[in-house]
Amino acid sequence: MFMAIIEVKKLSKTFKVKIKDKGLKGSLKSIIKPKYKTVKAVKNISFAVERGEIIAFIGPNGAGKSTTIKMMTSILYPDKGTIRVLGYDPTKDRKKLSYEIGTVFGQKEQLWTHLTPYDNFKFFGAIYDIPEPVVEKKIEELKMLFELDEFINTPVRNLSLGQRIRCEIVASLIHEPKVLFLDEPTIGLDPVVKENIRTLIKRMNKEYKTTIFLTSHDVGDIEKLCKRVIIINDGQLVLDDTMENLKYHYLNKKIVEAKMKERVNLDDEDGITIIKDKGYNLKIEVDTTKRSVADALKLLNPDNIIDINISNIPLEDIISDIYKSKDL
Amino acid sequence: MRKYLFIIKTQIMSNLQYVFNIVFSFIGYFILLFILFNLWQYLYSDPNELINGYNMTQMSWYVIITEILWMTLGGRKLCHKISQDVRSGNITYNINKPYSYIGYCLSTHLGDVFVKGLIYIFLGMLTGLLFLGSFPKLTLINILVVLITAILATTISILLIISIGLISFFIEDSGPFYWIYSKIILVLGTIFPIEYFPTIIQKILNFSPVYVVSYGPAKLFVDFSWDKAVSIILAQIIYIIIAYGICYLIYKKGVKKINVNGG
Repeated sequence: MFMAIIEVKKLSKTFKVKIKDKGLKGSLKSIIKPKYKTVKAVKNISFAVERGEIIAFIGPNGAGKSTTIKMMTSILYPDKGTIRVLGYDPTKDRKKLSYEIGTVFGQKEQLWTHLTPYDNFKFFGAIYDIPEPVVEKKIEELKMLFELDEFINTPVRNLSLGQRIRCEIVASLIHEPKVLFLDEPTIGLDPVVKENIRTLIKRMNKEYKTTIFLTSHDVGDIEKLCKRVIIINDGQLVLDDTMENLKYHYLNKKIVEAKMKERVNLDDEDGITIIKDKGYNLKIEVDTTKRSVADALKLLNPDNIIDINISNIPLEDIISDIYKSKDL
Repeated sequence: MRKYLFIIKTQIMSNLQYVFNIVFSFIGYFILLFILFNLWQYLYSDPNELINGYNMTQMSWYVIITEILWMTLGGRKLCHKISQDVRSGNITYNINKPYSYIGYCLSTHLGDVFVKGLIYIFLGMLTGLLFLGSFPKLTLINILVVLITAILATTISILLIISIGLISFFIEDSGPFYWIYSKIILVLGTIFPIEYFPTIIQKILNFSPVYVVSYGPAKLFVDFSWDKAVSIILAQIIYIIIAYGICYLIYKKGVKKINVNGG
């Protein structure tokens, strides 16, 4: 049923960055004898994406996510390795590939701000050589799916950020791309609008079977949209696994937050890590492979507990742990 | 081709939001013409006197046309935009679209010039008639040919400016290059016709962009001849091919140097 539509093998990219010594002397020196250093942005990464998947491609700032996406979308040339997107080599089949993929960069407007979303969609239809009646039909369809009816004839400059992002996504779908690259689509949006955008992305993925390659720093986006996550750090692939496995890996750790009647003096022990100790309020992490939660509660003395909350480690913490430890 | 015409149309639609800004910008053009008209009145003791083949009315119309071409072009803005696109990495958002970046820039800027051009032509002609009282003797076909040469002139100017802007792939700022280009076009073809310069310089200018981007259309407007029209249009076609070739080469070489981090 599934087939790999993105294949990345041993991909590497190095940048040459100009460096300059401090002060005026350094500035003058760099004119006469400029110095460069090489930065390895992407180091030998490989992965594959199957049709219809929603993949989270995440990593801290400067990890190499953007560089990888730009190589996959034929913007940058790789130094080493191969990429196949829908069977095309982005370095050679740039134009053919452009008809098959869509891109949305949350921090970059691609719409014409003085025109209405409708005129913008017509524009995108024309640049992708789609016949007029087909564009009209597609606009109508996407208008319903993304609930644009209210503002489809309002100039983009007068739209709210949430409305604009919806239009940006629709503009990138006019030519029915098989793969959609979403680069931080919910950046700067309030929680309600974020949720709305996520629902629409999910609906689009279900309706059109569009493969979605998502980068985001928002854990909510990743958790609610993606079934698989690829983590890249310092140019290297550090994790490629299902969201379920990722969570399961960390499920053996529980967070226990307790409000106590009396002050408890607790120290780090095997399987118990004190996260916060404010005397009457405690927050501890229990490693259930070493210590049961019941054991931990005994240490606290159940009669002494006023209120208690036992939870899994938030995904955000799991991800930042992975970011911090390069060797997972 | 359809997509590029659509880009022009979209840019025109977008620019129609600024019609009043364009009309107000005409004030600057009007002041410039007023100064130049006074300069010619000072230089020509008799309006019918010929200086380098031009009488005072012809000289005034010449300047009206070259200034329309120059002012509607908005070259500095275009060069700055392309330079910024390259330096900021914004150019990358155009690379993975199914059009050529050069074609996209040319089309959007032609759309820009179209609205401004129509307004400036109307107001420029009106100013000429008010100040000079007469219109050069031109048939409808002649006017059409002048319009064609003006469109070709604008196309060449845009392509040359795009190529200057694209130099930013290799150096930090292409601004100084544009400054030199603009001064050459302004002094050697916009304010004075080629005939005003020494014979040796005239020979060089006849092969330079000045001949095709400003002198050509204005010369035909004030002194139309079919011989001249054919030679100007031919030269313009050759220049379009050359200018596009330059843009293409700079772009092709530069695009491999794109170095965008972050995100």
